[in-house]
Formats: sequence, structure tokens, C-alpha cells
Amino acid sequence: MIRRSLNFVIRGLILQNRIVKLLKKDFYIEFRSRASINISLAFAGITTLSVSLTSATMNLPFRVHSILIWVIIFFSAMNSLSHIFIREEEEGTSIFLSIHSEAEEIYIAKLLFNFILFIVITVVVTPLYLFFMQIWPENFIFFASSVFCGSTALSSITTTLGAIVAKTSMRSSLFTVISFPLTIPVLWISINLTASSLEGGSVDLLNLLFLLAFSGVIVSFSYLLFKFIWMEQ
Amino acid sequence: MHERYLIEASNLSRRFGKSRIFRGISFSVESGECFFITGPNGSGKSTLVQIIAGLQKPSEGKLAIKLNGKEILESLWSHIGFASPAMNLYERLTVYENASFAFRGKDKSLINHYISLFGLGKHKDKEARILSSGLRQRLRLITAMINSPGIVLLDEPGSNLDVEGKDVLFREIEKIKKESLVIIASNDPEELKLCHKGIDLAKQNS
Amino acid sequence: MFLYRLVYILMPIGIFLSLLWVPPANILGDASRILYFHVPVAWVSFLAFIIAGIHSIVLLIKKSDIPYREAMAYNSAAIGMVFTVLTVITGSIWAKVSWGHFWNWDPRETSIVILMLIYIAYFSLFSALKSNPNRWGISSVYLIISMIIAPFLIFIVPRVYPSLHPDTIINQDKKIHLEASMRITLFFLVVTFTLLYGYIYKITNKLSLIIIKLRSSHDI
Repeated sequence: MIRRSLNFVIRGLILQNRIVKLLKKDFYIEFRSRASINISLAFAGITTLSVSLTSATMNLPFRVHSILIWVIIFFSAMNSLSHIFIREEEEGTSIFLSIHSEAEEIYIAKLLFNFILFIVITVVVTPLYLFFMQIWPENFIFFASSVFCGSTALSSITTTLGAIVAKTSMRSSLFTVISFPLTIPVLWISINLTASSLEGGSVDLLNLLFLLAFSGVIVSFSYLLFKFIWMEQ
Repeated sequence: MHERYLIEASNLSRRFGKSRIFRGISFSVESGECFFITGPNGSGKSTLVQIIAGLQKPSEGKLAIKLNGKEILESLWSHIGFASPAMNLYERLTVYENASFAFRGKDKSLINHYISLFGLGKHKDKEARILSSGLRQRLRLITAMINSPGIVLLDEPGSNLDVEGKDVLFREIEKIKKESLVIIASNDPEELKLCHKGIDLAKQNS
Repeated sequence: MFLYRLVYILMPIGIFLSLLWVPPANILGDASRILYFHVPVAWVSFLAFIIAGIHSIVLLIKKSDIPYREAMAYNSAAIGMVFTVLTVITGSIWAKVSWGHFWNWDPRETSIVILMLIYIAYFSLFSALKSNPNRWGISSVYLIISMIIAPFLIFIVPRVYPSLHPDTIINQDKKIHLEASMRITLFFLVVTFTLLYGYIYKITNKLSLIIIKLRSSHDI
């Protein structure tokens, strides 16, 4: 019994070690090429500035602000999120990756990478927007939680879909088509939550937990099903 | 290494849509043997090697890979070393980082050992994208052999290599084939000479 | 197969019941009869989706009879798509009559559009994977993931947000607002449309099987 649990812990540590190795690899590559993060941040900056410029004198309702924030975050991140798998296929490194790692490890590493990338984009976009639009959420903790939970849900679903799309021949356009129906409900709820936090509404714990539960469900099933996407079984 | 591997293929065939690449391939190889796969371009050498590596599945037939008599049911990655022209390395990682990524052991000095063995010592900290095709091939071979795997699958290992590179390659293969199971897919007669048995896909397909 | 052929008898009866026998509803009058078609087709569009998802799960577990199971999932999705379009059309007519506009972005209306988009995405994915030997695995995973998300969209979200839709129509509890004759008619048509789905599904599967057998004999 003790030996079995010890075995389990050791396997967990080794798994963690390998996932860290994969994650490091992706960060080195991203840091050195900076291809996708640059585009995402440039897009975010340009869009925020354009919105601010054109709506400077208007007093937009909070719901509109919420929609704009999420549209900017979402479309800035879209480009990068599918990139992580598409790059492996386009550069022909997916064989090298498959030979040296298990499917589950690859999935977790990519998921964590996407999540961190999404948070980075959010952390840049949100203050930028708040600053240029001269608004401040009444309930800041609620606001930050809504953005965080929405980011978690979106990054979890787009990781799996990015893996699916990478295996096809029509990557970028197809990614938009297949991600739209599955991300719309998440966006919808996130927009409502963020709008509510900007207005100073009470913390909607139910919906925040819903987004986290959604992420949990998606991640669990993707973990189990990833090997069917990654490799012919 | 006291692990005995056995690869048994019976009646393998592979189809892509309507075209059939090969059919009726059967063979048996075990540790300590070097097996060649040869045939004209398009006969399916690379495909067969990828099927053995578990990267593709055969359309028909059965492939069994056994370790000490028991079939390996989980993924093969800890048992095989693989090098193929279809396998690109990470362009933005250095030679050392690519080799380190492939390395699974604990003693990191082995990474440097293999890098020098294959003559890439000078290029250790250079990104893979600036290497010539010959040097990249050497790096591929490093990633295939660095873990001293039980099964070594080499697809056109000598491609792009100069005389010195081929020397190192042949010496290493001679060394590992004593204990490991080696499969070489190639058209180069020098490489094929390293193996004492094999199949010719041209003859199988007719 | 005989069971499904009953649809030839049941459908005319159903049409008679819904258009002639059942009395018109209180406020909406004869226009309310669209309900007896809208609810069954909506039900079938979800049923087809679930069936496609189940086939995908079985396919990934068993990994046998791959072309046939893949075709069964695809066929169910195709029929589901048609019924989803019918749901949107009948729903729009109902919406125009009841609330004055063809489309309101009511949460339940939104859910059905999302379902339709999921189907469209599935077909796009399927054709983009044409030359990929792992098409069955990838499209099955997509269908399973969408099937997991679908309950959130269809059952949870519409109940969280206030809706223009009459109370919980797509569930078992129809007792609250309908008279006995309406209940009977509605239930009857739900069963009939389910049989219609089954019938079309069986035929398309038979056709797929023939095509698969022809293809494999061609190869040899």
C-alpha cells in the first residue's frame, strides 16, 4: 500500500519534471521568436487606442465597456492560442515531440503555456483599457476574478480546439469556425460578470464558479481524449 | 542492457485514401540484430519505419513489439530512438537544448559526450536553424542515440553526411547493434551492409 | 425496421391531430399549432446530436468497424443539422406570432443557434480532415467535447437567465400550462418525429454501409 502510493508520487514528480521540460522548451522558443506574442500585444494596443480615440467624448454604458474589453482580449489572444499547436505541425517538429513525450504530458504543457499566455495578454490589455477609457471598476476584486475566470475557461477550450485544428489543412480559418460556438457561452457569461463588476454589483459567485467548473470539465475530458487527436490510435 | 526486444510484423499494409503504399509485409527482428528496409522511392520505407515507431498505424495486419516476451501496450517513447528526414528539430533551440530535450537520463555529462562524439562540440550553443543540413542530420542522430534505447530506428541516417559524419555513424551503429535492435531504412549500399538481414519493399509490392 | 415504418401511419394521424383535432390555444389561436411541430423537431435536433456523440464515444472505446461507426456519427449529425434548421424556422414563425419579432436573441433561441454552429463546425472539420487517416479520432473528439459543453448551453444557461420562452418545454414536465388534448398531441408528435428520425437514420446508415463495402472491395 505504502509502496504503491510512493510509486504514484514518484511518477507524479517525474511527470511534473517532464511537463516542466516541455513548458521550458515552449517558453524558450516563444521568447526567442516572439512571433505570436508581439502580434497579440500589438493588436490589443492598436484596438484599445482606436476605441479610446473614437469614443473619447461618449459616456459608454458599462455593458458596452465590458463587451469591448472581452472582444479585444479574445481577438488578441485568438492568434496566439492556436499557434502553439499549429507551429509544431508547420515546422515539422510534431514527430520529434511525439517521439520524446507522452500525449498527456504534451497536453498539460501546452495548456499551461496557453493559460499563461492568455493571462499575460489580459494583464496588458485590461489596465490599458481602463486607463485609456478612464473607467474604474466599483468592485475591483470581482472585476479581476471575472477576467481571471473567463481567461481560464477560454484558454482551456481553445487549447483543445487548437490541437484539433493543427491536424487539418485549413488551420487559421477553421479555428475561428470551430471555436466560435464553444467559446460564445463562455464569453457571454464573462461579459455579464465583468459588466456587473464595473457597475458595482454584488459578487456573482455562482457564475464565477461556473466558469471554473467549465474549465475543469473541459480540461479533464481533453486530458483523456487528447491522445486521439494527437496520434492515430 | 539485458532487455530483449522482439518486433514481429505480420501482413502489414498501409493505405492513404485510395492509394496503397505497401502490403503483405511480414518480418521478425530481435535485439542484437540489424535489419534493413530498402526499396525504390515511394515504396514506403519511411512509412514502415514510422509505423514501427508508433507514429502511424497500419491499415491492415498486426505489429507486435515485445519486451522480454511481453507485448508493450503503452506508448513506445521510452524504448525507441528515432531519426528521419521527416523529423525536424526545434529551430530556435540550440544544439545542446535540442539534445537535452531528447535526453531522458540523469547524468547530464552524457549530453556533451554525444555532442562531441558526433562532432558538434563547436556548435553546441548555436541555434539549430543556422546549422547546415549535414550538421542537422548529425543532431538528429544524437537525439536518436543519446538514451541508448533498446530499439533504434534510422531512416536514411547517412543522408547529407560527409565522410567524417558517416564514419562516426557507422562506428556507433556497429557498437549499438550488439545489444540493441537496429532498423535502417535506406537505399545506400554502404548503410545496408551494416545489416545482415532485411526486406526489399519493391519485391514485396509486386 | 417495421417499427420505423409505422411513421407512414403515425405522421398523417399526427398532422390531423395537430391541425384539425386539437382546439386552438387561448390567445394565439390557430397560430399556436406551430408548437406541435416546433417542439418535436427541436427535440430531434438534440437527440441526433446525442446519438452522434454516443457513436463517437463507442468508436473511440472500441476502435473497430471504424468507417461504419464514423459514418453513423456523421449521418446522425447530418439529420440533426436539418432538424436544427427546421427548429430555427418554426421557432421564428412562433416568435413572430407570439412576440412580434422573428428573432429576439432569447437565451433558448441563442442555444439552438449555438447547436447549429456546432454542427456546421463539425462538418467543416470533417471535410478539412479528408486526407487524414485519423479523421475518425479527431472528429469524434470534437463531437464528444461539444456534447459535454452542450448541456451547459442548453439546460443551464437558459434557466439562469430570464427567457421569453414558455416554461421548460424541452423536458418531461409538460403538465403545467397545457390542456389534456394538447398534451396528447404534443407527445404523439414527439414520438412520431423520433420515429421519423430513426427511419431516415436507418436508411442513411444502410447506404453508408453499402458505400463502404463497395470501396473496400474496389481496393483489393
